[in-house]
Amino acid sequence: MPLSYSTVIVPVDFSGESPAAIQAGLEVVDDASHLHLVHVLLPLDAMSPGVLLGDVSDESRQENVSKNLAALAKENGAAGAVRAVLFGTPGLEITDYAKQQQADLIVIPSHGFHGMKRLVLGSVAERVIRYADCSVLVLRRSDAE
Amino acid sequence: MLFLCASVFSGTCFAQDDSATSEPPTTAQSEATSSQDEAAVEVETAAEATVANRINDQFGVVVGYMASVLFWDPVPGEVTVPLIVLILLFGSVFFTFYHGWLNIRGFIHAINVTRGRYDNPSDPGEISHFQALTSALSATVGLGNIASVAVAIQMGGPGAVVWMMLLGVLGMTAKFHECTLAQVYRKIKPDGTVHGGPMYYLEIGLQERGLPRSVGKGLGVVFAIFCIGGSFGGGNMFQANQATQAVIGLVEDSGLVKDAGDYRWIVGCVLAFLVGLVVIGGIKRIGQVTEKIIPFMCGVYVLACIVILTANASVLADTVVLIIQSCLNPGAAYGGFVGVLVLGIKRAVFSNEAGIGSAAIAHAAAKTDEPVREGVVAMLGPFIDTVVICTMTALVVIVSGAYKDPDAAEGIAITQLAFAGTVSWFPVILAVSVFLFAYSTMISWSYYGEKAWQYLFGQSQSVKLSYRIFFLIFIVLGAIASLKNVLDFSDLMILSMAFPNVIGGIILAPKVKSLLNNYWARYKNNEFKTYR
Repeated sequence: MPLSYSTVIVPVDFSGESPAAIQAGLEVVDDASHLHLVHVLLPLDAMSPGVLLGDVSDESRQENVSKNLAALAKENGAAGAVRAVLFGTPGLEITDYAKQQQADLIVIPSHGFHGMKRLVLGSVAERVIRYADCSVLVLRRSDAE
Repeated sequence: MLFLCASVFSGTCFAQDDSATSEPPTTAQSEATSSQDEAAVEVETAAEATVANRINDQFGVVVGYMASVLFWDPVPGEVTVPLIVLILLFGSVFFTFYHGWLNIRGFIHAINVTRGRYDNPSDPGEISHFQALTSALSATVGLGNIASVAVAIQMGGPGAVVWMMLLGVLGMTAKFHECTLAQVYRKIKPDGTVHGGPMYYLEIGLQERGLPRSVGKGLGVVFAIFCIGGSFGGGNMFQANQATQAVIGLVEDSGLVKDAGDYRWIVGCVLAFLVGLVVIGGIKRIGQVTEKIIPFMCGVYVLACIVILTANASVLADTVVLIIQSCLNPGAAYGGFVGVLVLGIKRAVFSNEAGIGSAAIAHAAAKTDEPVREGVVAMLGPFIDTVVICTMTALVVIVSGAYKDPDAAEGIAITQLAFAGTVSWFPVILAVSVFLFAYSTMISWSYYGEKAWQYLFGQSQSVKLSYRIFFLIFIVLGAIASLKNVLDFSDLMILSMAFPNVIGGIILAPKVKSLLNNYWARYKNNEFKTYR
């Protein structure tokens, strides 16, 4: 197993586990520019008040996420990382992006859901493992439900 | 279905027999063919009607079981006084006194906030104060204001209006309370969108107060379940039922279609399709136009009511006297004083949603860094919905005498009769209003219900889609079910939301009071920056 990877994808959901995932990604790359921080947005809800009456749009959401990704990267010493905001189903979008970028590794925290949410949602990590073409490192959550 | 197959099969056989001969049919044969065709159509209609009736009957059985639990009556006596009604009444009175009659002293400030005096575009949130109020009103102003009021007067007499208005006034502070809490405990996501509502403030707020996490989470889950039920009931089935009735009524009066009532399912399917265009198709333009039209439609509706009341000005004073007398002495036929009180409370809460927490989901999205400020705006909701619009409907129904008409069916039909009595084409305005109000209410409540659904099952596209499909199915169900079953189910679900909401709200009351006192002191000290 190589000590460093040339392209590492870190899906970011802004949970408490995201900083640890970024740190884990930084440890296996030579430079932060080899790290890709990715956030996936679900499609917009057409009936939400913000869409119907306000200014909420995919563009405004993307802009907000980009700013927050930049801030999170800077706080965790990854200011030089590539940042991407995608739309769609998280598991599929992450693996498609990894394939496009010819990534060597995906670093992703597990959600640790139990009960109803686990039954209904499964986990993004499970889908990434299933569909990824490259290696996947799953970080166990310390605060799993 | 067997009857349908039999009719088609017999028709086919006869056609084959017919074509097998080279001779043209005789008059007797033609008459026999015609009567067989008529019989086939009658069988087909009967089969469809039987299916719809069976669905409605089974639905009624389920609702009956649920009512025996959720509408438990702790008060001995002949009149049913559900515990939930007592909780709602107590909650509204408690919050009103606890917050020092903020509904009265904060009214002018509420107007100024809504007009945008303190709107800072860089505040966190999705929509302005005015837009939040519009969004909440588009959910509350619906068939509850138009049809449910007529039901209340038909069942409880004119005196029911007084209790509706009273709950409208008291409910203003209940709404302030729950919307302030929604703002305090809302979550702003990295994309700038907002998650908020009773399920969040119950889960997080009660734990903050020192209660075990399971208590807050449990109440949050209970609220979410009832909110989903409410979104299928009052926010969906009732709207679809009465909108369908309005359309059918108009069609029957025009004479265009015979037995138009047999085609309720078609109206339901059309409604489901139109709602589906927004919630599943994502065609937000339709929803945007509808939401923006609602304030205008409220104005048109109120204006139409004023025209009717003006035309009946000579009896207006007597009507007011009748209302007051009926309130104090409604008579045994209406269930007596307690019966009318319970009815008035149920219909008011059904209409303005004060105390049940649904509007808090919309108000949580307002752009502000002052939770109390949005709570104050939210107070205007019950005022506009109940004190203004419901009262207008009630006066029109009473002044016209439509509620006493033995030929008036129920619900929206009474209001239609009242409108038609003054200007013959007013029912057209009413039908358009009804359709738009019902449509906007369904769009808004689909948002509330989906937020509750996501709270239970998580956020993913498949979770959202599953809820939306259920929502559309319930539209069609609402169109074909009877008003009684739909209203019973809607009442059950909507009013039951108050169980966790009022209980949790009372536990969290000191927090809101502290925020209010702090805010009001700064407001009186002119410490707030204004932008207009």
